[in-house]
Amino acid sequence: MGKIIKGAFLGIVNVVFIWIALYLLGAEAYLVFVLLLLGALLTNVIFLLPRAYPYRYLLPAAFFMVLLVVYPIVYTVYISITNYGTGNILNKEQVVAQFESKYTLEPNSDSFAFQTYRDPQGDLWFLFTDSLGGQLVGHDGELTHLREDDPLLRQLAGYTELSRVDLVRATNELSSQSFAYDDTHELRMRNINAFNLYLQQYSYDRERDVLLEVQTGIVYTPEDGYFRAPDGTHLTPGFRAVVGFGNFRRLFGNPQITGPFVSVFIWTIQWALLSVGTTFVVGLFLAILLNDPYLRLRKVYRSLLILPYAIPAFISALIWRGLFNTDLGIINQILQATIGSSVPWLQDPFWAKVALIILNLWLGFPYMMIICLGALQSISAEMYEAAVVDGATAWQQFRHITLPLLMVSVAPLLISSFSFNFNNFSVIYLLTRGRPPIVGAQTPAGHTDILISYTYRLAFESGRGIDYGLASAVTLVIFLITGAITFFNFRFTGALEDVNKNV
Amino acid sequence: MKRVTTMLVVLVLALSISLPVMASVPGELLIWSDGERAPILNEVAKQFVIEYGVTVRIQELPFGDIRDNLAIVAPTGEGPDLIVGAHDWLGQLVTDGLIDPIDVDDESLFLESGLEAFTWGGQRYGIPYAIEAIGLIYNKDLAGEDGFQSFEEMIELGTKLRDEGKYALVMPQPDPYHTFPFFSILGGYVFGMDADGVLDPLDVGLANDGAVEGFELFEYLMDERIMARATPYDTMMSLFQNGNAAGMITGPWAFNDVRSAGIDYGFQQIPSYKGQYGRPFLGAQGFMMSAFSENKMLANLFLNEFVATKDTMLAIYEGDPRPTAFLPAADIINEDPDMRGVMESAAEGIPMPAIPAMNAVWTAWSDALELVINQQSAPRPAIENAVQLIIQTIEDSGY
Repeated sequence: MGKIIKGAFLGIVNVVFIWIALYLLGAEAYLVFVLLLLGALLTNVIFLLPRAYPYRYLLPAAFFMVLLVVYPIVYTVYISITNYGTGNILNKEQVVAQFESKYTLEPNSDSFAFQTYRDPQGDLWFLFTDSLGGQLVGHDGELTHLREDDPLLRQLAGYTELSRVDLVRATNELSSQSFAYDDTHELRMRNINAFNLYLQQYSYDRERDVLLEVQTGIVYTPEDGYFRAPDGTHLTPGFRAVVGFGNFRRLFGNPQITGPFVSVFIWTIQWALLSVGTTFVVGLFLAILLNDPYLRLRKVYRSLLILPYAIPAFISALIWRGLFNTDLGIINQILQATIGSSVPWLQDPFWAKVALIILNLWLGFPYMMIICLGALQSISAEMYEAAVVDGATAWQQFRHITLPLLMVSVAPLLISSFSFNFNNFSVIYLLTRGRPPIVGAQTPAGHTDILISYTYRLAFESGRGIDYGLASAVTLVIFLITGAITFFNFRFTGALEDVNKNV
Repeated sequence: MKRVTTMLVVLVLALSISLPVMASVPGELLIWSDGERAPILNEVAKQFVIEYGVTVRIQELPFGDIRDNLAIVAPTGEGPDLIVGAHDWLGQLVTDGLIDPIDVDDESLFLESGLEAFTWGGQRYGIPYAIEAIGLIYNKDLAGEDGFQSFEEMIELGTKLRDEGKYALVMPQPDPYHTFPFFSILGGYVFGMDADGVLDPLDVGLANDGAVEGFELFEYLMDERIMARATPYDTMMSLFQNGNAAGMITGPWAFNDVRSAGIDYGFQQIPSYKGQYGRPFLGAQGFMMSAFSENKMLANLFLNEFVATKDTMLAIYEGDPRPTAFLPAADIINEDPDMRGVMESAAEGIPMPAIPAMNAVWTAWSDALELVINQQSAPRPAIENAVQLIIQTIEDSGY
């Protein structure tokens, strides 16, 4: 029985593997394909070889880590040294194929009506008629001028003529046909009613890797993702190409990009610290209140206080954006009525940051409250009894018993919360979109942009359009920073070790 | 041994299941459409099957996602043959090499400006079904039956409305698209034309004297509380729906919301200032063809024979009323006063530049607007700085 289940399981896994693999092949994602194949092979080996059996618990984790963590990192590194972005989306083969298939309609040339026949072998024959009544027969890329009573006509009459419906169904076959009309012109299908004379625009020389403009003889050489002419102009579209450290040079070499980067970085740190700090303080305070056994209706309060956590952040953030509106928001209306002045919440760099902290406090304190509540339960009441006997004040109890014991279990969560807020894109994006803008920045950057929202705007809203290359470079920098922060955090707070000791 | 047999069976099974998924489908059309157009295209698709026995599949996507998804999916060969889209995508899609020109059989069927909007380097890249331009929706109870002739008139009314806590004007802010009439009113422009009538990306006219004067009018209206400050689209709409604003700069997409609020409204072109009219951007929507389509001839045929027809165009209009770019349907559609208003506004319109350099313009321009809206900068330095950045960005990216 066990064997059947195992076999069936492996079968299903293999089906999934093969299905994905074929899809990847179709999408020409060869690197992922190879990785997947290796994964599949390993899976089968481990399940079929008794000696490798213990590894089966490790395998899925390792596999998904490679696929979902390692591969994206490697890919990001790769993108960061390319020019991938608007104007350079396609790969070189695709771009060359596009140029090779560009034809210009010969202006003022005659249009040829056509009839199409299929011979018993299934091959196509065309009878072209120009506007003066001259006729040509086209077959297999070659044209024959017809004289009167040409035997070819009789031959054609013996074949099946395609009706209009047949023609429509065969458009792909028809449009792939071309006939050399003279040295430069090709007769190609223009639409369902006519063939016309076309000139090929470019030809690609595979040996020399250059693109030749057929009519002018200009030679375009590939350079930095574009086919460039000797005079410096280039053809569009460009293609994806490795540009080395160009993106990093842009990031660190240009003060108009570096400037916002540094200020964005500083605010990101402030933001992450303040987010964790404020939510933790408020959450802990409420948790201690709710933990008081003499408090009536504790459960009601607890449920009510968890509500902000239960409402989707997207909805809350948008509501808060309305509340913070300078002229019409309720917060300013109240301020206006009570203290007689209002605050430019979303317009002033400082107040926009305050608004973000307030919103994040609203969204985040229930989480901190919940984890603190849990942690408080685990502190034994005997300690407090002993403290009371020794004459400790409430503050001393909190300072020397509650906080240290709480930190044991909460500290790792605070660190992960820091990392989370470091990349808390949605709150920033929903409330301020990173605004107000930083004056003079060459990249789209705002005073409340954190690194991740800055990256997003670089990638999708930059001056160039989409700029994946530069965005990947920034992503890598962010990755190094968060990686370092997290490492030192765990290392020097000893958070993980403490957990291990206590668990 | 048994195990191996099981695995082989499974393998064969898997292969037979997955192969059809992979196969691309020449001889069958796939159209990416937004939700408004999809049901109409589905009907047209049925006729196409009846007539030629060729399947047309419609895949529904949010309008705004179509362009970005095309850039991701089309190069892998999984993309559509045709897409529905806006003309201002053209610059990006053409420079990316994602769309191909379309052979329009009979150009006389279309509004010239609609076709022009889909033209790039002398080639037509789209068949337009609608054109649009922003204008002024006015509340007849506040602004009178005929709306506003001029901004001078609006300022006069605004000073009275101000005391009631109402505004003479609301508009989405910061939003360069909707603010452009202020720049164009006294002679500002985005890109100048060179002698050949080709847009010159290094001639940016957003900070010339006329543009700055118009921008100063924009600031003045906010400073005097004639226009509400820093209103995003939804706030703007609720001000107008609650009767707290006499005029709203917006486009045909706002009609339904205004109508549902029970406001007695009219639509007019942007009022004049110092005797000159503010000219909005002219936009167009249409069908474009993927450069990776394996059925280009078929797609052309579908557009020319089945989409560019009076019936289809009227159906598209009824599904989502916008002024049509298809002349045989124009007479019927222009009977609607709203549509006539938009057409009149569009007649004054300037086609929104669709060159890729436009990407560099939007962000910097929007930031300049925001600085002025937030009272952190005067109009002239804000827009002059923005133009400098725009030109720098354009030069850097080597357009």
